Amino acid sequence: MSRADRITASLLLAFSVAFSAGALKFYKYWGHDGPGSAFLPFWLGVVMAVLAGMMLFRRPGEIEDWLPRGEARARVLVVLGVTAAFIALLNVLGMIIGTVLFLVVLVRYLGRHPWWLTIAIALAAAGLNWLVFVRWLRVPMPEGVLWIS
Amino acid sequence: MDFLTHLGLGFSIALTPFNLLMAVAGVMVGMLIGALPGIGPPSGVALLLPLTFGMEPTSGIIMLAAMYAGTMYGGTITSVLINTPGESASVVTCLDGYQMALQGRAGPALGIAAFGSFIAGTVGVVLLMLVSPALAKWALSFGPPETFALMLLGLTTVTMLAGDDPLKGYISMVLGLMLAMVGFDIISGDARYGFGIPEMMDGVDFLPAAIGLFGLGEVLAGAEEKTQTAKTKLRLRDVMPSLADWSRSKWAIARGTALGFAVGVLPGAGPTVASFLAYTVEKKVSKTPEQFGKGAIEGVASPESANNAAATAAMVPMLTLGIPGSATTAIMLGGLMMWGLRPGPMLFEKNPEFVWGLIASQYIANVMLLLLSTLCIPLFVRALRIPYSILMPLIILFCVTGAYSLKNNVWDVGQMLVFGVIGYFMKKLGYSPAALVLALVLGPLAERALRQSLIISDAGMGIFFMRPISGVLMALALLAVAVPVVRAFMKK
Repeated sequence: MSRADRITASLLLAFSVAFSAGALKFYKYWGHDGPGSAFLPFWLGVVMAVLAGMMLFRRPGEIEDWLPRGEARARVLVVLGVTAAFIALLNVLGMIIGTVLFLVVLVRYLGRHPWWLTIAIALAAAGLNWLVFVRWLRVPMPEGVLWIS
Repeated sequence: MDFLTHLGLGFSIALTPFNLLMAVAGVMVGMLIGALPGIGPPSGVALLLPLTFGMEPTSGIIMLAAMYAGTMYGGTITSVLINTPGESASVVTCLDGYQMALQGRAGPALGIAAFGSFIAGTVGVVLLMLVSPALAKWALSFGPPETFALMLLGLTTVTMLAGDDPLKGYISMVLGLMLAMVGFDIISGDARYGFGIPEMMDGVDFLPAAIGLFGLGEVLAGAEEKTQTAKTKLRLRDVMPSLADWSRSKWAIARGTALGFAVGVLPGAGPTVASFLAYTVEKKVSKTPEQFGKGAIEGVASPESANNAAATAAMVPMLTLGIPGSATTAIMLGGLMMWGLRPGPMLFEKNPEFVWGLIASQYIANVMLLLLSTLCIPLFVRALRIPYSILMPLIILFCVTGAYSLKNNVWDVGQMLVFGVIGYFMKKLGYSPAALVLALVLGPLAERALRQSLIISDAGMGIFFMRPISGVLMALALLAVAVPVVRAFMKK
């Protein structure tokens, strides 16, 4: 834990210095009648720097294994990766095709359910999602290659 | 009487078929969300909020408030049956609830929790109805300094109570405020921290952030474990508590209700704190404290009443002052602003149909909760059998569609993804996503109040301490910062 905390504290410290400096450089600290748009950001940066400094210098706690390893890490990364790909391809594939592919890949990977069940879940969820958001709530979803809106 | 006309107006709105349907749907979804481990009330509100965009604000808040009440009970089901709290306000229910289940008394445990929740929820609404208008009237006299001091108090108390490590809580809160600075500044017209990206002009939207932090973040953390579905071999025979159960629980319910409401009204201390406190108090006043932890029904009745009373009470500061006391009410407050309402004391005067429709619907939601929780428990138990491997991808799908439907663009979905990763790390490292979301929602409002105060002030920051109300509030806010610091020194 202590190492993870030190790294986060250092990052936060750097971030807060840049945040405050950026505020003073680009925006006005004090306008003609009161505080400008840099006023609060500047002080927030200062407060964050103090907090990060406190964390950096406090007595380190015991070292804990907080990052998952092996299979657990793989599962988190796959879930994250598949979700990121789904979002990145949303405008290309469209909501319906994207949803079906996303669910088939992830449900199969996580559960090893039989193919028929996996595909049935994906189709049902994509259909229901489309019904609720597009038909009922009239939210235009990305059409992508499939023309349905 | 003025008051009865308002309540009549409220019921006339709450009893329209659509709003009635929303209350039922809210309770059902809430019970389901509460029962599912991994997603709790804040994620539930964040995920349901996009569904309300096309509705009247009143219908929207009716659904969200009913859902909040439903989650409080849903968490109980899993606490009692499989010793796994569905959300944090039911953690303490595991202690005696699961023991009761092992003794074959799962039915009465769930039953007394249902009745306790109903009684506490209903009393909570009565109190909400009586307290709120007066509080709103008083708050009308607040100027920018009082508003700012109140927001600061809300932020510091939530942070103080957020987790085990106050320093990390404050870091989360200040980070939320910093993120709230991004985007178009209304007073000067500067586009702060935009880096020339047009989408950044709008700033960091709280909804994708909340969906990411609570929805996706939780799912990612849950993905680490290869969970099998929880199986319960316990049978539910009779949900009705016996007469003996009642006589043991009646004062526990009463104490839980009173305590829960009192705690819930305070900013920062929500249902979770209330349930823990209620359990502790019950054990203290009990003549047979040795039975606690071994299946004492008071140990279920009291915290379960307290968390429902607190969930109702949490609406008081949100509706009257525009200050949310928890992550869940913070997201609701964000919803209010999205629907185009201005939260704060004026809400009672300008939108009586909204406020009173909500109050009346809370009465209805409590009745629904009692009916559903006594009649449909087997249904919810079955829902628990859906494997996590299917549930998890579906929750992510809901996160994506929810974030997209905000403004119909993929940028927000990307924002949701980034916050999902941030939420995962915050959870792993002991930071507080709740404090971050609260700060993100309150940030712009607090900044406006701060700058307006300093414009009218001729004593700089002194203005906050020279006016009586803001002075007291500021002192309390500083106290909330000082307490953990002093405690840290005492330890050394």
